[in-house]
Amino acid sequence: MKRIMIDAAKCDGCKSCTIACMQAHRETEGTVYDLDLTDVRNESRNHIELAEDGGYRPIFCRHCDAPECVMSCMSGALTKDPETGHVRYDREKCGSCFMCVMNCPYGVLKPDTATRSYVVKCDFCLAHGEEPSCVKACPKEAIYVEEVS
Amino acid sequence: MKYVIIGAGAAGISAAAAIRSLSPDGEILVISEDTMVHSRCMLHKYLSHERDAAGIRFIPEDFFETNGIQWMAGKKVAHVWPKTSKIQMEDDTVISFDRLLIATGADSFIPPVGDFRTASNVFGLRHLSDAQKIDQMAEGAENILIVGSGLVGMDAAYALLERGKQVTVVEMADRILPLQLDETAGAPYKKLFEQAGCRFILGKSASQTVSDASGKITKVILSDGTEIPCDLVIVAAGVRAAVSCVQDSGIKAERFLEVNEYLETSVPGIYGAGDVAGLSGIWPNAMKQGQTAAYNMCGQPMKYLDRYAMKNTMNFYGLVTLSLGRGEAREGDLVLVREDEKSYKRAILRDGKLDSILLQGEMDYSGIYQYMIKNQVDLSGKEERIFDLTFADFYDIWPDGQYDWKVPI
Amino acid sequence: MNQCYGCNTCQSADKPLEAFIRKLPMETSHHRVDSQKTKCGFGLQGVCCRLCSNGPCRITPNSPRGICGANADTIVTRNFLRAVAAGSGCYIHIVENTALNLKNTAKNGGDLKGLHALDRLCRMFGIEETDDHRRAEMVADAVLADLYKPEYVPMELVEKIAYGPRVKRWKELGIMPGGSKSEVFKGVVKCSTNLNSDPVDMLTDCLRLGISTGVYGLTLTNLLNDVLLGEPELRQAPVGLRVIDPDYINIMITGHQHTIFVDLQERLKSPEAVAKAEAAGAKGFKLVGCTCVGQDLQLRGSHYTEVFDGHAGNNYTSEAILATGAIDAVLSEFNCTLPGIEPICDELHIKQICLDDVAKKANAELMKFDFEKREEQSEAIIDKIVEAYKERRGKVKLNLLPEHGNSNTLTGVSEGSLKEFLGGSWKPLIDLIASGDIKGIAGVVGCSNLTAGGHDVLTVELTKELISRDILVLTAGCSSGGIENCGLMTPEAAKLAGPRLRAVCEKLGIPPVLNFGPCLAIGRLEIVATEIAEAMGVDLPQLPLVLSAAQWLEEQALADGAFGLALGLPLHLGLPPFVTGSPVAVKVLTEDMKSLTGGQVIINPDARESADILEGIIMERRGALNI
Repeated sequence: MKRIMIDAAKCDGCKSCTIACMQAHRETEGTVYDLDLTDVRNESRNHIELAEDGGYRPIFCRHCDAPECVMSCMSGALTKDPETGHVRYDREKCGSCFMCVMNCPYGVLKPDTATRSYVVKCDFCLAHGEEPSCVKACPKEAIYVEEVS
Repeated sequence: MKYVIIGAGAAGISAAAAIRSLSPDGEILVISEDTMVHSRCMLHKYLSHERDAAGIRFIPEDFFETNGIQWMAGKKVAHVWPKTSKIQMEDDTVISFDRLLIATGADSFIPPVGDFRTASNVFGLRHLSDAQKIDQMAEGAENILIVGSGLVGMDAAYALLERGKQVTVVEMADRILPLQLDETAGAPYKKLFEQAGCRFILGKSASQTVSDASGKITKVILSDGTEIPCDLVIVAAGVRAAVSCVQDSGIKAERFLEVNEYLETSVPGIYGAGDVAGLSGIWPNAMKQGQTAAYNMCGQPMKYLDRYAMKNTMNFYGLVTLSLGRGEAREGDLVLVREDEKSYKRAILRDGKLDSILLQGEMDYSGIYQYMIKNQVDLSGKEERIFDLTFADFYDIWPDGQYDWKVPI
Repeated sequence: MNQCYGCNTCQSADKPLEAFIRKLPMETSHHRVDSQKTKCGFGLQGVCCRLCSNGPCRITPNSPRGICGANADTIVTRNFLRAVAAGSGCYIHIVENTALNLKNTAKNGGDLKGLHALDRLCRMFGIEETDDHRRAEMVADAVLADLYKPEYVPMELVEKIAYGPRVKRWKELGIMPGGSKSEVFKGVVKCSTNLNSDPVDMLTDCLRLGISTGVYGLTLTNLLNDVLLGEPELRQAPVGLRVIDPDYINIMITGHQHTIFVDLQERLKSPEAVAKAEAAGAKGFKLVGCTCVGQDLQLRGSHYTEVFDGHAGNNYTSEAILATGAIDAVLSEFNCTLPGIEPICDELHIKQICLDDVAKKANAELMKFDFEKREEQSEAIIDKIVEAYKERRGKVKLNLLPEHGNSNTLTGVSEGSLKEFLGGSWKPLIDLIASGDIKGIAGVVGCSNLTAGGHDVLTVELTKELISRDILVLTAGCSSGGIENCGLMTPEAAKLAGPRLRAVCEKLGIPPVLNFGPCLAIGRLEIVATEIAEAMGVDLPQLPLVLSAAQWLEEQALADGAFGLALGLPLHLGLPPFVTGSPVAVKVLTEDMKSLTGGQVIINPDARESADILEGIIMERRGALNI
């Protein structure tokens, strides 16, 4: 499967990945120049945390081999795609219980801020049919896509 | 090899799927009383009319066909015969198996209060069939009484309030959701439900009933003598494991089906998973148990390790809460509370490790806490930052890009 | 859940304030530190360039130059010069308005409260005239004439005000400034798109801007203010949120241009105004000090005891002051008026009036100060504030903190009042330095920020470290506001000093930290340093004197810092000024500057380590002076 690999040492915390993710998933039409950075509906699926050592830690969905989120999903909204290996999320099916948020051991998931009705979850930018937007936006190559077995 | 699974809940379905992935050619039969596969945790969405029965199915519609699994729906297993590796159905049909998984789950417990067990308008809320019966009767009902304010009781209350019904919830404890929430965290939910029209009677229990000639309860009398007129009663007073099919079979079971760490019962080749096994009756654990049992049934030994079940999330009216652990502080514990207009957080740390945590209103990226509790991660020196900790504090990554926890050894 | 907006507020050196802010039901800057904690590394290093449409360009291992070809050194120094020029512009705006107000007052035969200061200025400027109003006008004209000179005409007063040996060095380095406004103009031109790319040339311009800022924006603003508003006199005064008296109509003032308030200050105590206040149910009017204009009023507080309640806190205390509910209006004329006070003012129905359009707040009413109409304006302001008072009081719940701060902070310290206190000469202080009872002097100056450990955390910790090493601390700017609210400017703080400094303080009944007031008063520290150096017969870089802008905040502070470097002083900063992406900038500022002006930048976020370094420099200088 393809996974977004992370080299945390290269991350400078510029959040270009965050803006790219917001832009990729916005509900309105437009370019990054008119992306409303203050609209909570434009939430990013990735986030950068500052570690105690002053370095940055990119927190991105790993599309785990044994995804705890899928195991915890009582609605069937989260599934591990046997073909691509990606953990897919169907917002229509989701029961908004957020057991997946509780069960992701890496603190990647969160309920959406505006309505608390769906999970903010990486979709690998499949709708865009190419490299994930975050990867394309990273100026440091701190994130990149690699085929992993 | 013929695999038979009794039950089509989380454990049964996850076992069937796992067996299919491990054994492409094995024969798999799922037998269930349920006529539709559904998520028990979403029955309230059915009852509230937000979804139809298909909308709470947690697997694709063609799950059985695409996986080549046989499904016998609407059938009840009467008895298991371990010596001959056979099961007997209620209609006396006999089915043989090579490996058997008992994942029959649990049924609502109806306490022997007045006519609760015999009246025609008293229901638990456990199966789709319960929800369907309630749904039907609720059409004509005005005053609905819910006994118990646990998650099932509150789910039922939510659904029926959405339907515009008069709902009264009776709770023995002095607060709602007493097992999951403390007083502070329960209060905003109480307010939200009350705003939706719910009435709560706390610190009282149902003690008597008054029925009419047709066998319907018309009034429930509480411990203090208060009379509550009602035309429908939902009892949310807990569940009992569905172990009737193994009675007198030689398979060890008391309140629950006994299983070892490989989820095998006292009889080799026969396994148990999910609520019936009583290990931890919660969705993610049931899913994992089904999967673990499947591995063992297919000859790949795997221990079931994830016994942590003191966990829950809830989301009513957009107010979310995460609750991990018992939430009971002992002497010497460090109790940290952070409270503001958007959230309430309370953590109990014992010997530098997280024992319990409650997060209400804000639970972004909170998955790390369950890991900390389950693995008793040493948080020495980080205790005061408990609400500010993120995965960055434990960040490690494998060569294949998967995360791991870096914790001091 | 409770009513607190959020408990993840940043730390403050002022613990009661920290607890107060944490419990507030509204958002403040202290709440936003957490959500802004992931900082962009490119921004922090100053290597993001947005000067043209090809950008933003950022420097990375694979892209060491922007599209235009600018490398990190060019990008960083362009950004830095732009910031210093803007900061200088701010101070030059202040001195321009101050000189204009003095000139207009003099022309109108208005009240001049500081004739002593006027004498001094006339002596320095070589003005021989007897009529005080005429003299004041000539002083103001001389300042304005310099400000308006072209960049290629050197300003005349620099040589008359700055210390001789310094002027000599500045001439050698070719950094004597032309007209102040033109210097700002040239600075912003230089750093525009595809103009200057020479990092050393741009850093040299920063020094020129520093001299212009320091001599005019700082030193002269103080002295002009002294003429108009009265000279500082030593006294003890209350500080902190305790100064707010809810029985009065309270006006919080923010900004840097004290002369704008001259008319209003007088009018607020007039019987007519007091009658209006009483009719509305209050005892009268009080000004509540905040930011530097509050510090300036506190400094001259002996002239304004009737109308001035005291200084409540610095820029990042302003939200808490408003949150008490007892402030009825905010009058602002400059920075540091945080945009974040606006929603709080809205919520608590606090009237906001801006007196200078350069600092127009989005939801404030603009009433640009007009000298000709000052009396009408004051009346209108009073009426609007009385209306606000009537409208809001009773409706808005009070949330006072009457125990906050202290009642005996020493204030009114200036080059004049301190010298007078010492008996009219610097000799006693020089003797104490020579004997080692005072090891040296540190100016802990500049702003308050929330990110160097929290609100005033580094400032206060560093100050404590310095005094514990027998180093006398002089303050100016918002650092003063934090330090005074933490009690270090009360005589009792002597016990926190090292044994020898403590003995000196206890003998004289003074605190080990002396408050010179607003950031403008960095100019007063320069006068003190210059006069001591003169008395000792040495140049400034030889003095056992160091500067720290531990929690510098803004562009003005960078212009101040450039002045410090031009003076040849070691300058400590808690956080780097967005220059670390440029090896050349770092080398020039931290190393090469020593051989240019004698100054140097020291960057260190740790109080103890920073104090070690500063103490080391002081000891080195003592050694060189054989004391």
